[in-house]
Amino acid sequence: MLLQISEPGEATIKEACKQRVIGIDLGTTNSLVAWVTDGAPVVIGEDPIVPSVVYYGPDNTILVGREAAKRGLDSPRETLASVKRLIGRNLSDVEGVRNLLPYELVGDDRAVRVVVGGREVSPVEVSAEILKALKLRAEAALGGTIEGVVITVPAYFDDAQRQATRDAGRLAGLEVMRLMAEPTAAAVAYGLDKGSQGTYAVFDLGGGTFDISILKLVDGVFEVKATGGDSALGGDDLDRSIATAVVGTLAHGSDLAHRKHVAAVVAEARRVKEALTLAETALYKIQGAERQISRADLREYAKPLLDRCAKACRRVLKDAELTKDQLDGVILVGGSTRSPVVREFVAELFGRQPLSDLDPDQVVALGAAVQADVLGGGEQQVTLLDVIPLSLGVEMMGGIVEKLIHRNTTIPSGATQTFATYADNQTGFVIHVVQGERETADACRSLATFTLKGVPPMIAGMARVEITFLVDADGLLKVMAKELTTGIETSIEVKPSYGLTDEEVERMLTESFDFAETDLAMRNLLTERVEGDRILNATRGAFASDAASADHLLDDDVRAAGVVAMQDLERAMAGEDHFKIRAMVEALDLATKPFAQKRMNRAVEAQLHGLTLEEAESQVSH
Amino acid sequence: MESPSSSKQPDAFDLLGLPARFDLDGDVIERAFYARSKELHPDRFASAPAAERVVALSRSRALNDAYQTLKKPVGRAEYLLERVGVSIGENERLDPVTIMAVLEMREELAEARAAKAVAKIEMLQADMQQRRARDLVELDRLFASADLDGIKRLLIGLRYVDRYLEECDAALDADED
Repeated sequence: MLLQISEPGEATIKEACKQRVIGIDLGTTNSLVAWVTDGAPVVIGEDPIVPSVVYYGPDNTILVGREAAKRGLDSPRETLASVKRLIGRNLSDVEGVRNLLPYELVGDDRAVRVVVGGREVSPVEVSAEILKALKLRAEAALGGTIEGVVITVPAYFDDAQRQATRDAGRLAGLEVMRLMAEPTAAAVAYGLDKGSQGTYAVFDLGGGTFDISILKLVDGVFEVKATGGDSALGGDDLDRSIATAVVGTLAHGSDLAHRKHVAAVVAEARRVKEALTLAETALYKIQGAERQISRADLREYAKPLLDRCAKACRRVLKDAELTKDQLDGVILVGGSTRSPVVREFVAELFGRQPLSDLDPDQVVALGAAVQADVLGGGEQQVTLLDVIPLSLGVEMMGGIVEKLIHRNTTIPSGATQTFATYADNQTGFVIHVVQGERETADACRSLATFTLKGVPPMIAGMARVEITFLVDADGLLKVMAKELTTGIETSIEVKPSYGLTDEEVERMLTESFDFAETDLAMRNLLTERVEGDRILNATRGAFASDAASADHLLDDDVRAAGVVAMQDLERAMAGEDHFKIRAMVEALDLATKPFAQKRMNRAVEAQLHGLTLEEAESQVSH
Repeated sequence: MESPSSSKQPDAFDLLGLPARFDLDGDVIERAFYARSKELHPDRFASAPAAERVVALSRSRALNDAYQTLKKPVGRAEYLLERVGVSIGENERLDPVTIMAVLEMREELAEARAAKAVAKIEMLQADMQQRRARDLVELDRLFASADLDGIKRLLIGLRYVDRYLEECDAALDADED
C-alpha cells in the first residue's frame, strides 16, 4: 500500500523494485561479478576476484575459488583450473594443451571431459560450479534472487564455445539474458566512465584467450567494426613457455618434466612472471634448483606469443579498413596486460601509449553489469552493435565452403541461399554447417550436420533447397532448410552440436535439483529480507514526511502500533526464518493500513486537482 | 544461387531512411544506421512480450543486413543495379583485353609467392589497390551519367580485383607463418 505513494525514500524503493541483474566475467584464470548501483557499475565482494578453479574432493565436496586454488599443488588431478580452454571443444581441439594440464582428459570428436575422482565431468558442469559460486556471492550482496545475468565470452569464441557457455549459465540456475563479447564489455565500461568518443582498439589478453576488437563510440552507440584474436592464447601459455624454457636448463630438469610436477613447475613460472611486473629480475626456485630470470628473458619467452597477437592486430585493422594512426586510443584489458613486457609490445605495435586507467581485471565485469542493467530495464542509454567473429557457411560439393554470413557482420543477422541437388533422383540433402575463414570445410570448425529428407526424386539440379542462417544478438546460430520445388515445405531447425545434447543438459539440471532444496531455503530468506527492507524504508519515509507536514494524517495510536511492528520485523529479519519475516511484513502492513489509506485518499484528491502529492503537502503546510 | 536481397525483403535504403543513390558518404550511412539502431535494437525490447521480441529481432536483422549491403561502395553499387533488375551472376566474363591483363598479374603473383618475394607481393598489392581506388572514382562518374552497362562492366572487373587482393593477403599471411 505504502509503495504506491512514492514520495520520500523514492530512490530506495525504485532500487528495490528494479530487477536484480548482474554481469559476470567468466575468465580462464579469474572470474568476477558486478552490478549497477546508484547508476554506476561496481564489482561485488571485498576481494572481488574469484579464481576460476574448482576442486572435486572426496564425498562429493566441491570447492570453488581461492579455497579450491589452495588444493592445486597437493591435489593437482582433482583441482580443475583453466577449464575455459576446454569449453565447447572436442578432444582433438585441445590436443595442444592436453599434456600441460595436470588433470586427465577424455572424450571424442564431439566433446572433451575431465576425469576427476573416478567420474567424468564436462567443462560445462565445471564452469557451472564457478557460476553458481558467483551467483551465491551476488545474492548475498544484493539480498535476493538474481533475476538475470550477462555473461561475457571472448569475442573470438565460436558458436560451439558460446553455446556451451550459455548452457553452463543455465546449469547454474541463471537466466542468461545475453552473452557479451569481453572487449565490447570493456569498451562500454571505458566509454561510460571516461565519456570517450571515437575509434578505439581493445587489446584483451587474458589467461587463456586473446581478443582484439576495434570499436566506434558515438553518443551511447558502441559499434564493433571488426574483431579478431585467438581463443587459445593467453597468459597461461606464457607461464608454460617460461616453465619449458627454464626447466630445461635446471640440473634436475628431466625429472621435473614429469607430468606430476607440471602444476608446481607452471605455478612457479607464474609467480616469477608476476614478480617481473615490478622487479627487473626474479628468482625461479624449485626443489632446490634455481635460476635468475630477467625481464629480457621474459621478453624472449613471450616473443612467439606476442608475434601471434601482432598478426591478429594487423588483420583486424585491415578488416576495419583503418590504419593505426586513425585510432583515438588503445585500451588494455585482461590480467596479462599488467606485464610491462606486454605493455611495451602494445605501445610499439600501435605507436602510442595504451590506456589502462580502469583496472584491467575488473573492466570486463563492469561493462557486463552495465549491459545487464540495460536489459533489466535500467536507465543506461547504451546500444551495442556487436559482430560475428568468424564466418558461417555450408559445405558444398568437393568440400568447398560457401559462406552465408561473413565475419564482422553486425548481429543479429540472417542470410538465405538456395542450393540445387547434384545427383539424379537425390531424395536427401546433407547440410554440413561450418564456421571459419578457410576455404575448405575440413579446415573450418564443424558445427552441425543434418539431413533434409523428403526431397522429391528429380534430375540433378532441379530440386532446390533453401537454407536460412539466423544469428541472434548472442552470436548464436540457428539453421533452417526448406525444399522449394514442389511447394512441399520441409523445414528443420538445428542447434549446432558442440558436445552436449539438450537431453544431457536437461539430465544435469534434474540432477542438480538434489541440491536445490538448500538453495531454495536460502533464496526464500534473501527474498523476504529484501521485502522487509523495502517496507521498513517506505514506512519510515512516510512517517517522517508526515511529521514534517502541517496537516498530520498519522494518528498517535497508529504510529505507536507501526513502531512496534517495525521493531518486530527488524528482529525477524535478523533471524533465519523466512516465514516469520513474511508474517511480520504482513503485520506491519496491517498496523499502518489506516495511515496508508489516508495517504492514498489525499494522493487521489491531489491528482483530481492536478497536483502531485508533494505539491499538495507543501500547499497544506504553508 | 540467389542473392539474399531478393524481392520480398524491404528496401535497404528505406530501412536506413536514406535516398537510393550511390554517392552517399560513409559517415552519413553510419549515422543513419546508429540512429535507427537506437530505436530497433533487440535490447530495447528485452522486457517486451515474446511476440514483440521476435518482431524486434527480425526488424533488427533486416536493418543490420541493409547496413552490411550498403556501407561499402561496391555492395551499394551492386544493390542499386539489382533494384533496376540488372544482376551480376557468379560466372560473368571480362572482356578479352582485361582478362589477359588479369592473367598476367596473377602469374606474376604466383611467381612472387613461390619465390617468397615479400617485397614483390607488396608491390603488386599496392598496384592493385591503386587500380581499385581509380575504379571507385570511375564508378562514381558512371553513376552520375547513369551508364548501367558501364557500371556492370566495372563491377565485374572489381570482383577480379578483390579476388586478387585476397590472394595477395593470403600470400603475405602464409609467409608470416
